[in-house]
Amino acid sequence: MDFKIKKIDEWRFLIPKTGAMRVPGLIFSSSELMPNIKDDQSLLQVVNVATLPGIVKHSLAMPDIHWGYGFPIGGVAAFRVEDGIISPGGVGYDINCGTRLLTTALFASEVRPKTKALVSALFKEIPTGVGSRGKIRLSKREESEVAVKGASWAVKKGYGTKEDLERTEDQGVMKGADPEVVSDRAYKRGHDQLGTLGSGNHFLEIQSVDEIYDEDTASAFGLFEGQLTVFIHSGSRGFGHQICDDFLKEMATHVRQLGFDLPDRQLACAYIGSDMGKRYLAGMACAANYAWANRQMIMHWTRETFEKSLEVSPNDLKMELLYDVCHNIGKLETHVVDGKKLTLCVHRKGATRSLPPGHPDVPHRYREVGQPVLIPGDMGTCSYILAGSQGAMEESFGSTCHGAGRALSRKQAIKAAKGRAIDRELEDRGIFVQSRGKTTLKEEISEAYKDVSLVVEAVHMAGLAKKVAKLRPLGVIKG
Amino acid sequence: MSSVSTYEIIDHTADLGIIVKGPDVEQLFIRAALAMTELMVKGDSSDIVSTSEVVVQGEDFPDLMVRWLGEILYLFEGEDLIVHSIEIKSIGPVQLQATLTLSSFKPERHQVLREIKAVTYHGISVGKANSGWEARVIFDI
Repeated sequence: MDFKIKKIDEWRFLIPKTGAMRVPGLIFSSSELMPNIKDDQSLLQVVNVATLPGIVKHSLAMPDIHWGYGFPIGGVAAFRVEDGIISPGGVGYDINCGTRLLTTALFASEVRPKTKALVSALFKEIPTGVGSRGKIRLSKREESEVAVKGASWAVKKGYGTKEDLERTEDQGVMKGADPEVVSDRAYKRGHDQLGTLGSGNHFLEIQSVDEIYDEDTASAFGLFEGQLTVFIHSGSRGFGHQICDDFLKEMATHVRQLGFDLPDRQLACAYIGSDMGKRYLAGMACAANYAWANRQMIMHWTRETFEKSLEVSPNDLKMELLYDVCHNIGKLETHVVDGKKLTLCVHRKGATRSLPPGHPDVPHRYREVGQPVLIPGDMGTCSYILAGSQGAMEESFGSTCHGAGRALSRKQAIKAAKGRAIDRELEDRGIFVQSRGKTTLKEEISEAYKDVSLVVEAVHMAGLAKKVAKLRPLGVIKG
Repeated sequence: MSSVSTYEIIDHTADLGIIVKGPDVEQLFIRAALAMTELMVKGDSSDIVSTSEVVVQGEDFPDLMVRWLGEILYLFEGEDLIVHSIEIKSIGPVQLQATLTLSSFKPERHQVLREIKAVTYHGISVGKANSGWEARVIFDI
């Protein structure tokens, strides 16, 4: 399909409506990031999403957009519940893949000499799930409970505290989960993977607060310069992957009866109000809840490992959850579009929710400054903490970017890393990394990613979220 | 595991894909399954523990390929079973019947190379090409 790109201003690029598009495409980006975006087929995917029934306003792309399967990664699309669709491909296989940030009362400088030992201890205590399994085995009944209760299941079992739940998106539980719609295969894949990190771009990183951009918000978030923090990135593991896969296959057949053509089979979908749509939403919620329990458990073991390794008491460590956000999800939300209040199914595939100050879904403790937005970079550069802004409610259905976004394919990354000892290169820069597979490190080299600082600058300048702090990595564990 | 290098890796920004070639459709499906296994795990899988009969149904060859590879992926991810060899009993655009020879995943004998989350429909193609058959599949990893 032919399409044009029209520059609106420094941070916005429009794809005017042509052909089968029902709405225009809108890309938040910059003149520095656009050339790379045009290199792959992600903009064609923005156009393809714009053809789907019930889409509202724009098919959106964040500055970290890259070529996904069906929907682009870094894409946001909202559909009317009355006549719109829901698509498992618009949420992604890793349902509720997300991040959480832990703050401490320690200065990174106090811990720096012990980083290597700390990384080894974390690597030992937190299962990556690659080539080995998790620490716990769940019966199908227990897994069903996790699927309904989410992070609160983990807290009830002793993994963390009630305060953690208050600092998790949706309090760590998505309503409407129905364990009956989940296949035996999903239960089988998930039974020994709860509390595991996974591979690919998933990680656990020890960091220090390198720079503060907004003192008041940083203070409300409990952040200070030089502070030791921990960033966790993981999702719903095989449980969620299988749920997505099962529904995609069902919908691949189902969608043929709906009377519209799909430009890519991966966009298979169902009407939100149909039985198929409702069943997917109920299954997706199960996976979202599994993911929240997963990150809650990983955080609990992180706390224990820090206390043991550094020989500090919980009171002295004060490892508190700043926030937990998901960046692969479909949610029923109310938004004002052209002056009208609408209930929409917002698909965020590689996009983070970004609620402004005063929004009722922002936890009380952050309500005056806005929802914390966590943006991980690659393992060699930096990550960012932002705060949600009103601009996101007006332009992007309360969404912003989710990370750096890949710039190189895995094959290109492996080629670029050929003959190099990536772990040693990072160690020379003061970053200790431990990983299960050598391939992962090569595929995840810094050069494989876009410059996260440019991505964050673009959403900050576009008004989708505002910069609060920058974090530098000290140690990383990966699957 | 049979040593097959009858595939090449496709460049795709986020994910990983393969192009597989075979002289006929049976070989194409066998090679695709072994190629995916080779991307996931390496090690000695000659210790056969079981055989399994599988029947996979689809709408057409591309759909059948996604579902077939999904079956092999599930066996590894859900049952810890690695496909060692495959015999295709019958194959058509909407159904495939095969006997799989399987070995058990053992952490001391095998190394997981990467986790494949799923076999996607994105850009899937299966069809005749030149003198044989060719498939293009993208995995989510």
